[in-house]
Parts: sequence; structure tokens; C-alpha cells
Amino acid sequence: MTLAINPIEVASFGISAGAVFGLLALGLVLIYRTTGVMNFGHWAIGLVAVVSYAWLTGEGMLPQAALPICLLLAMGAGVAAYRLVFKRIARSNQIIVILVAVGIAQFYSSLAALVLGFRPFTRLPPWLPMATLEVAGMRLRMSDVYTIGVGLAIAVGFFFWFRVSRSGQALRAVAQNREAAVLAGIDDVRYSSLAWAIGSGLAALALLIIMPHSAGQQGGLITTFDLTPLGTLLIPAFGAALVGGLVNLPMALVGGVFFGLTREFLVLAPAPWSELRTSVAAILIVVLLLLRTERFFATRQELEALEA
Amino acid sequence: MSILETKDLSITFGGISALDEVSINVEPGEIVGILGPNGAGKTTLFNVISGFLKSDQGKVILDGEEIQNLFPYERVAAGLARTFQHVKLFRNLTVYENLLVAQHRHLSSGSFAAMLRLPSWRKDEKLAKDLVEKMLDTINLRPWKDARPSELSYGTTRFLELASVLSLKPKILLLDEPASGIQQREVEALGPMLKGIRDETGCAIVLIEHDMGLLFSVSERVYALDFGRLIAEGTPDEVANDDRVLESYLGRTRRDSVA
Amino acid sequence: MSTAVETPEVPEQVIEAPSTVATKKNRRNQIIALGALAALGAVPIPFGDYGFFIGQYAAVYAMLGLSVTIVTGYAGLISLMPYTFAGLGAVMTGLIMTGWGWPFWLAAPMAALATLPVSLVVGMASVRLKTLYLAIATLTFSTALGETFFRWDLVTGGRIGWTVASPQLGPIDFGTDLNFYLLCLLVVLGLVWMTEGLRTSRLGRAMLAVRDNELEAQALGINVYKTKLAAFVLSGMMAGFGGAFLAVLLGNVSPGGYQSPVAEVTSILLVSLVVIGGIDRAWGAFFGAISLVVQSQVFQGARFFFPFFGMYSAFFLILFLLFRPGGLVQVSKITTELVKRRPVFGLAVVLVTVALNLGIAYIFIRAS
Ligand SMILES: Nc1ncnc2c1ncn2[C@@H]1O[C@H](COP(=O)(O)OP(=O)(O)OP(=O)(O)O)[C@@H](O)[C@H]1O
Ligand SMILES: [Mg+2]
Repeated sequence: MTLAINPIEVASFGISAGAVFGLLALGLVLIYRTTGVMNFGHWAIGLVAVVSYAWLTGEGMLPQAALPICLLLAMGAGVAAYRLVFKRIARSNQIIVILVAVGIAQFYSSLAALVLGFRPFTRLPPWLPMATLEVAGMRLRMSDVYTIGVGLAIAVGFFFWFRVSRSGQALRAVAQNREAAVLAGIDDVRYSSLAWAIGSGLAALALLIIMPHSAGQQGGLITTFDLTPLGTLLIPAFGAALVGGLVNLPMALVGGVFFGLTREFLVLAPAPWSELRTSVAAILIVVLLLLRTERFFATRQELEALEA
Repeated sequence: MSILETKDLSITFGGISALDEVSINVEPGEIVGILGPNGAGKTTLFNVISGFLKSDQGKVILDGEEIQNLFPYERVAAGLARTFQHVKLFRNLTVYENLLVAQHRHLSSGSFAAMLRLPSWRKDEKLAKDLVEKMLDTINLRPWKDARPSELSYGTTRFLELASVLSLKPKILLLDEPASGIQQREVEALGPMLKGIRDETGCAIVLIEHDMGLLFSVSERVYALDFGRLIAEGTPDEVANDDRVLESYLGRTRRDSVA
Repeated sequence: MSTAVETPEVPEQVIEAPSTVATKKNRRNQIIALGALAALGAVPIPFGDYGFFIGQYAAVYAMLGLSVTIVTGYAGLISLMPYTFAGLGAVMTGLIMTGWGWPFWLAAPMAALATLPVSLVVGMASVRLKTLYLAIATLTFSTALGETFFRWDLVTGGRIGWTVASPQLGPIDFGTDLNFYLLCLLVVLGLVWMTEGLRTSRLGRAMLAVRDNELEAQALGINVYKTKLAAFVLSGMMAGFGGAFLAVLLGNVSPGGYQSPVAEVTSILLVSLVVIGGIDRAWGAFFGAISLVVQSQVFQGARFFFPFFGMYSAFFLILFLLFRPGGLVQVSKITTELVKRRPVFGLAVVLVTVALNLGIAYIFIRAS
């Protein structure tokens, strides 16, 4: 990739990366709010979709046809993790919850590596158009434009569904006050499963947006480097989620774009800084942690409910 | 000079005033009772005095020193100890170990001394064990010494908590409803026990209690709180017959039944 | 009617009666445990150099695991960066031994000390945070350090790394597999003994108290922040010290080995091995390291099964967390109790389990 100098080009990279972080963060926040689990296995569950995508397209399936199947598989992986494991742990025991989430991450990433047969890399054909667009002397990648579009569409659709539909409202009720929701006759296991399904689907979508479109015209690759339990991109996603105090959904998306833009504009910075993407994100995360952003987005009661 | 003095403590939670210019004072060796209906702000007062909550304004003076800006553990070091309304304790540790933890401030050896079993560690451990042994007898906890809090009756956990805070050798002890949830027999033992503790150690005691029999029998002076404000102060007899105190209880009952 | 919300209680952690009290009985237990560990250490001897190599691996991973025991097991803080601290120790060892020409015996304690500035900075920034936020912060720091320190040419000599010579003590050369194995074993036994000692001390008990209930700890005059920071720093030093042995074990130090994603993956492995071994007691790290390293070797021997090892260990991590949060230490305690109460049945269970395990290992190796 040539170094983009035009700030609008860089911004387009940044916003599209940000949309991906935002989708990851949205899933993290949704699952955390509803079930009190910070899902360290988020990336690994997304990998389930990526390796099935690699496998199905390798068998000759059309990428666009494989996509929904892969999303469903990841959703199944997430729901299985909730139903078989997280449902059985008292959420007040955060130490165990986090360690189990780490175990789930290890499990699914090993599964992914196994499915790919431990090859150093596997080709992933693109499912978004890969052409470049020339507008007023700027070169924009179509995949970025689509990514931003998909991210926006999902965000709008999601928030609309969350606010307006019956199941969305039930989900919000469970997230806000589990006990009261259960007393009101809402089946909290069902809606927690729904949150896991949606969250995992979002993770899968995020990974299926980046990975198959990362290497230019030919599509993309999945390497052993990507097959780790806690992917590097999980860090900006955590950062994005922290912008909304781990509880606020729209702010998580905003946070995603913020981290995406920071990351891409760093490329323009002088030498040592341009290589320190994760470190800069780390500093931002520490600042966010010390600001205790959750104060701004959740009441004391909600926070206590999340902990106990 | 008072051992504990609060000056105009005020705190609000989301617009609701939980403490409103509360000033109390406690003399050395005195037993002071605090009463008030549910939600009057009694626990909040303890939380502010012991440093678990920061007041919006006001001062806490312990033995002549202003302590309102100290951390809770620093206030313990200054001689202030408190119990919680709901028993906390360390659930994974035995009674004996709970009491060992409470000796923290009397010990001084470092981590490497313990890792290498140096003499300073040995001396510390011996001191800690001696203190715990004594406390086991003082509060009659010996039969349960290897039990975990979950295996004890609620009353016994209350006594364990009392033993823990007594281990701090405080100059003043704040007890939040020590008799709640325990058997009548144990309540009756509690009164003389508190007086005995005071007589032996000379430490002052401030007591929040809904059991009026206990409160009026051990306290030498009583404060009454309602809606975060002090509404009465005096001897148990004076406060028990104070119109405003009676009204606060009746009034609250009426409101509660509406709510 | 509200059964749907009720999640089953996580079983109470089994902690042996007063384990934080320096009683005679406790001291005797510690000696028995150390003796048992030493006896376990004799197992590789008939297997020759290959056995010693596996033994060295297990011992070094046990040292690194002890850092998790202190920070997570004792103080209840989840740190996802133990391997990063090990890397700091290893790199310092390479720098000191190869760069400055100092002997290993000075390099190892220096490696432990070298983690101090990092653990202090990371600790001060993040120890105040609650469990979840601390996990995120340490993960982030681990990745960020991989991107900075382990790339910093001044420290790392341009990313190529150094070969690390084996330690020498007078006429004794610890370059042979047997000698180095015995050294590692001795050191890990010493570290287990030290970590157990920490439990029966002012600071160690404060850590356990803070893990159990922060409010109560504060009410009893414990400085929660300082206690957590101390746990974090001690854990970092332990990992750094282990890192010195890791450097010798690997024979070279290349900073790239402590960058993302290797650092995170290995840190997770360390956490799992400690949980599986028993996170409450110091010998848990040793049990866990042996079981995981030996099993990974068995899997490696069986080429067909090796790809399943990651899933297999993750599966056991989750099983232990759900049903035996005290790990193998808890399992062995339950078994001892069973043998005491019903000797015949208990011993039969033990024998069948051992036979089953050996059988499975045999099938695995034959299948390849
Ligand atoms: N940390 C807090 N945040 C918000 N509100 C609080 C907090 N602590 C106490 N309150 C409120 O302050 C008021 C006083 O509470 P407090 O616990 O002090 O009452 P109390 O006198 O101890 O009552 P009880 O006899 O029931 O123990 C109550 O309305 C309570 O809801
Ligand atoms: Mg109260």
C-alpha cells in the first residue's frame, strides 16, 4: 500500500478501520451489558467465521453465498459459549468469568487453527468489490466505501431495532435490570443468548470485513499471526468500548471511529510514532481507564448490577 | 478533649441530603448511642467518619487531629475502627486467619523476610499468634477457630467481626447494628460485653442500634437522627421521651406504608 | 419461579485449614509437599537427556507460573502479561551475560530487578482498576511493550538477539542437560518454598484478604492499593527471575519472541497451567507446569493428535474453572481424603486413573 498523503484518503482508511473496531466494540458492549461477561474470546469467535469462510470458498462456494453461513456459524459458537459455560458461572465471580473467557478464546482459536490445517497462510477471496475509485484526484478504495456503508447501515438498523422492536426492548430490559425483567416474565436466558448471537455475529462480520480485503485486488490472507486467541485488533476494540464506559452502544461506535482515525493518521507521523499504533492505543486506553468513563454512561445501580 | 468530633458534616446523594450539618462529639471511654428510623443517615455518618465516603463539607476530628482527608486505612492507624451493618469478613479464610489478618497494623516484617523465614518474620508471626490466641478467649471464639465464616451462625460472625475490630486496638469503635439478626440470648450478652470492653480497654464506643432495649441500657448518651439531621441529643431517658424522636418514628411508618 | 436467573454457585475454593498460619503442622505439610515435588523431579532421570529437557521446560514454566500464583492466586488480580515480564528478564539476562560478560548468578537477580520499573509503572497505572479493567490494561501493556521495548534497538542490539551461555560454578558446568535440570529443579523448589512462605506473612495475608473482600480489608487497616502494587511487583520479579532461566533453556534471546502474539498466547498458557495446577497454593504452579508440559510432549509425540492440543488444554482449563477451581491441588486433596476414608476404593480409583492416563498416552504415541 502506497503512503497516502491526502488527508481525505487517510480519513477514509481511518473511518473504515473505525467502522470495523466499532462493530467489534458494539458486540463486546452488548454482551457485557446483557450478561456481565467481558468477552476476551470475541476475536476467536470471529475467527470461527473466517476459517469457515476460507474453507467454504476454498471448496468453490461463492464468497457472497458463504458469508451468511459463516456469520451463522460464529453466532452458534457464541451462543454455545454462553449456554454451555457462561450461564453456569455466577457473574459476581469476575476472576473466574474472565479466566473462562480467556479459555474460550484459546479454545476457538485452536479450533480455527485446526480447521485451517496449520498452514502459514490461507487465501481469502473478497466479497466486497475491490476497485479503486478516483474522485477529484483522490484514490478511494471501494472496499473502504462499502465498509463504511455496511458499518453505518448496521449501526442504524441495530439501534432502530434495539429501540423499537419488541425483542430489542426486551433485550434492553434484561440489560438494564435482569431481576426486574425476569419478574416481568422475560426469559432472560433466551435474551442473553440473543445478545451473544448478535454480538458474535458482529465480531464475525468485523473480521470478515477486514481479512478478505486486506491485500489489495486479490483479496486477503489469514495468517498464523491472525489465529491468536486475543487478536491485536481487540485492543482498539476494547478502547472503543471504553469510550462508552463498556456500557454505551452508540459511544462504542464513536470510539471505534476515533481509534480508527488515530491509527491511520499515525501513519503520517514521523518515524518512531508511525510504528507505534498499539502503544498509542494503549496510552489512550489507560487514559480512558483512569477517566473511569463508565461514570458518564451508567448509573451506580447499573454498574453494581454488572459487578454482582 | 473529645476523642471524636464531627463538625457540620453534610453529604447529598443525587439531590437527597443524607447528612445535613451533623455535629457530634464523643468523650474518651464514653458509650454513645445513635438512633433513627430506616434511611435516617446513620450508616452514612459512619461511612463518612471512617473514610469510606467523602463528605461534601465538614470536618472529622479524631483525638485533636483533622482526619477527613485520610484514607480509611490511615484512620485505622489513627485509632478509629468500625464494623459494617452487613457482616463482611473474609469468606475463604478461617476464623483464626480472619483474626490474623486483623493484626496487620501490629506487624512490620516485609515480604522477603517471610519468603526467607528470617528472624524478624518469626518474631512477627509469634506476636500475631499470641494476640489472636488472646482474642479467641476474650470473645469466646475458640470453639470455632478452624471454621470458615460460612459455617458459623450469624450471631457468631457478628462476634468474629467484633473480635477483628477489637484486634485493631482502637481508641474509638463504631458499631453498626451489632445486634441485628442475632438471637435474643446473644443480644443480652452483648450489652455487658460492650461495657466490659470499654472498661478493660478504655476505648470509646459509638453504637447504631434498632434494638432500643440494648441501646438505652448501654449508652450513656444518645443522638437521634432523622432525614440526615440531628433531632435530639441527651441521656437515654431524655431522648426516649423526646417528642420529635417519637414523631420521627411514627411519621416514617406512615410514609413507608404509603410508599 | 425465578429459577431461570439462578446460576449455580461456583464451588467454594478449598483451602486447607489455616494455610496462612505458620504452625508446625503447616510447616510439616510444606516439607511433605516439597519432598513430593522433589520425588516427582526424579521421574525424568531414567528417560535420559530427553527427560531432562522436558523436566527443564516444566521447571522453568513452573517458575513463571509462580508469578501468576502471586498476582492472581493470592491477590486476585488478573494480569495477562506474565510472559512479557519473563521476556524482560530473558532480554536483560542476554544483555548482561553476553553484552557485559557478567556471570549468570548476577544476571538472574538483575533480571528480576529489571522488571521493577516496568511493573511499577504498569502497576501504578492499573492496579487501582477493578479486575476486568486490569485484565484489559495488562493485555494492552503486553502488546505495547512488544511494540516498543522488545524492538528498542539500544536495548535489544538490533532485534537479532544474543546467544546465552550456560551457567558455570567453579568446576561445575550447568551446560549438561542433567546438571541444568537439577539446577532448575532446586531453584523451583526454593521458589515454591518462598511463595508458600509469603502466604504466612503480613503481606501475603493482606493479599488474600484483599482478594476476598476489599472493604473489610480497608476496615482492618490494610492499604489495599499498596498491597496490590506489591503483589504486582513481586509477581513481575518472579517472572523476570524465571526469564533468566528461560534464556538459558532456550540458549538464546531474541526479543521478537516476546512480542505479540507469542507473548499473549504464552501468557494465557501460563495462566491456564496455574489454574489447572491450583491457583491457591504455590505447588499448584509446579503441578500445572508438569501436567501441561508433559502432556504437550505426549501430544507432540503423537503427530495425529498434536493439532488438538490447544483445544484440549483450553477445554480442561474451562472444566477446572467450572468444577474444580482449586485445580489439581484440590483434586489431590479430595483424593487423599477419599483414600483416608475408604482406602480400598480410594486406591482403586487412583490406580485406575493412573492406568487410564498411561494407556491413553501409550495409544497416543503409538497412533502416530
Ligand atoms: N452510597 C450511596 N449512594 C446513594 N445513596 C445512598 C448511599 N448511601 C446511602 N444512601 C442513601 O442515603 C440515605 C441514608 O442511608 P443510610 O444507609 O445512612 O441509612 P441508615 O440510617 O443507616 O438506615 P438503616 O437503619 O436502614 O440502616 C438513604 O436514603 C440511602 O438510600
Ligand atoms: Mg444503616
